[in-house]
Amino acid sequence: MSKNRPVYEPFALEPSGRAHLVVTSLDAPPEGIEDSFDNIEVWTVKHNGPGVPVLAAGGVRPFRSTTELLAQLGHRLGRETAGLRFYAIGSEAFIWDAYNIGIVAGLHPSEISLHRAGPLVRRVYCSHCRTMIEGVPVNIVSCPSCEAALFVRDHFSRRLAAFMGVKVDAEVPGEIPAAEVFTS
Amino acid sequence: MKLKIEAAGQLTSGIRKFTLAPVDGAVLPRAGAGSHVVLEIPGPNRVWKNAYSITSAADALAYEIMVRRVEKSRGGSAWLHEHAKVGDVLEVYPPQNLFAPQRKAKRHLLLSAGIGITPFLSYLKLPGLAYEMHHCCKPEDETAFRTLLPSGPEATLHTSRNTLNLEALLKRQKLDTHLSVCGPESFMDVVLATAAHVGWPAAKVHKESFGGATGGEPFVAHLKRSGVKVNVGREESLLDAMEAAGLTPPCLCRGGACGECKLTVLDGVPAHHDHYLSETERAANNAIMICVSRAKTPELVLDF
Ligand SMILES: Cc1cc2nc3c(=O)[nH]c(=O)nc-3n(C[C@H](O)[C@H](O)[C@H](O)COP(=O)(O)OP(=O)(O)OC[C@H]3O[C@@H](n4cnc5c(N)ncnc54)[C@H](O)[C@@H]3O)c2cc1C
Ligand code: FES
Repeated sequence: MSKNRPVYEPFALEPSGRAHLVVTSLDAPPEGIEDSFDNIEVWTVKHNGPGVPVLAAGGVRPFRSTTELLAQLGHRLGRETAGLRFYAIGSEAFIWDAYNIGIVAGLHPSEISLHRAGPLVRRVYCSHCRTMIEGVPVNIVSCPSCEAALFVRDHFSRRLAAFMGVKVDAEVPGEIPAAEVFTS
Repeated sequence: MKLKIEAAGQLTSGIRKFTLAPVDGAVLPRAGAGSHVVLEIPGPNRVWKNAYSITSAADALAYEIMVRRVEKSRGGSAWLHEHAKVGDVLEVYPPQNLFAPQRKAKRHLLLSAGIGITPFLSYLKLPGLAYEMHHCCKPEDETAFRTLLPSGPEATLHTSRNTLNLEALLKRQKLDTHLSVCGPESFMDVVLATAAHVGWPAAKVHKESFGGATGGEPFVAHLKRSGVKVNVGREESLLDAMEAAGLTPPCLCRGGACGECKLTVLDGVPAHHDHYLSETERAANNAIMICVSRAKTPELVLDF
């Protein structure tokens, strides 16, 4: 595993916080978190869920997609006040998108915690045409825009929340190794 | 560098302000917001070196400082109040900055009390700084401090702690705000404790401390590499005693804030009075900030 892969701690709420906002790309929050502290809100993604992400009982607000959730996040953090702890749980792409929105909103890294959960899929950045390819489960992928056969390197960019994809046959043109499923 | 006292005047009964201008049209080094200078103050028996925050704007043609007369002053601030006069030329070390405005902050919450206002006066001169300031002072000093602050809603004066609801103030700050605090230790302690209580992360809380040295039991400092033993008296600091013995240990702020004067302790137990070392470093007892800290044991062996 390359050195720039972030390391994630198991999910736990920060007792130093006065309020907690948990966002996840999964359809349910981690078990039992609603009753662990008073001031918690959880944003989830429930595909085909209700059209309007209203706050339901237990402080859970279901969004229809991660896109919709992330689009609301900046506005929400802009209204928040000091003392908030922010948590993102889900795919590496999702949690780093959330992280970057948090930093722009003025959160300090010590106020944010990230946790990997769900399927081991990666967002891949085609370094040849700059296309982002979402949800890639294996280390060889064809770029849908420029059709390059890409090898997914272990190099993760926090800014892009993506792994670098480079031409697989850069060394020996035409030679494409067998794809391997990600194990981390 | 040599600077001349170009103007001097009383701000309050206990605070005197000075304008220090270059001699012979020399160029003054730029002093970014939050900087301080160290002045050499000529005492009858020895020279004092004290740090004072620069209250003027970064590109001003002269430095302005404000000096509070410390009650039991052994020299520096008393001399500046009683003897310093317009025309005097003082040796001044180039500005240092331990308290620059946080670059990552989009907004600044500035809290000060008494003389702790000084570093923030240079902040207020930064164009476009988004801030909210609250300053606490004695009722009799209100009029004087009022003249230093802008008249808008961004700066509020409090003459009693009751009018400043710290908890509510800290709770309503936006996420993009950093807190900076300067003033007496007791004031800063309350602010820091309240901030932590309502969930502020340490990384967004910044303070500048003006010292904290006190006298104490005399002790002996054994400077191993120099091969010298120095007696540190009840009323002098370890740094002063080393300088009096002809040594030139590193130092900048002389107030326990900058970290420059750190020495390694080889034997003996230091009594920490600085604001620089972390809790872990303090507990390890193998480093000492010689400008403010003393000894718990009769002798300290230092790597110098
Ligand atoms: C970064 C910084 C910025 C500052 N800005 C300002 C400012 O803007 N305005 C202002 O008024 N002050 C400021 N100060 C405080 C100022 O430098 C002096 O500490 C203060 O004026 C008292 O000086 P004094 O000589 O009268 O006091 P004294 O207390 O007599 O001190 C002389 C020095 O010796 C130490 N000391 C004191 N008592 C003892 C003792 N019994 N034994 C051994 N050592 C002792 C202190 O560290 C002090 O620096 C600042 C300090 C720092 C570190
Ligand atoms: S000289 Fe700055 S900490 Fe001692």
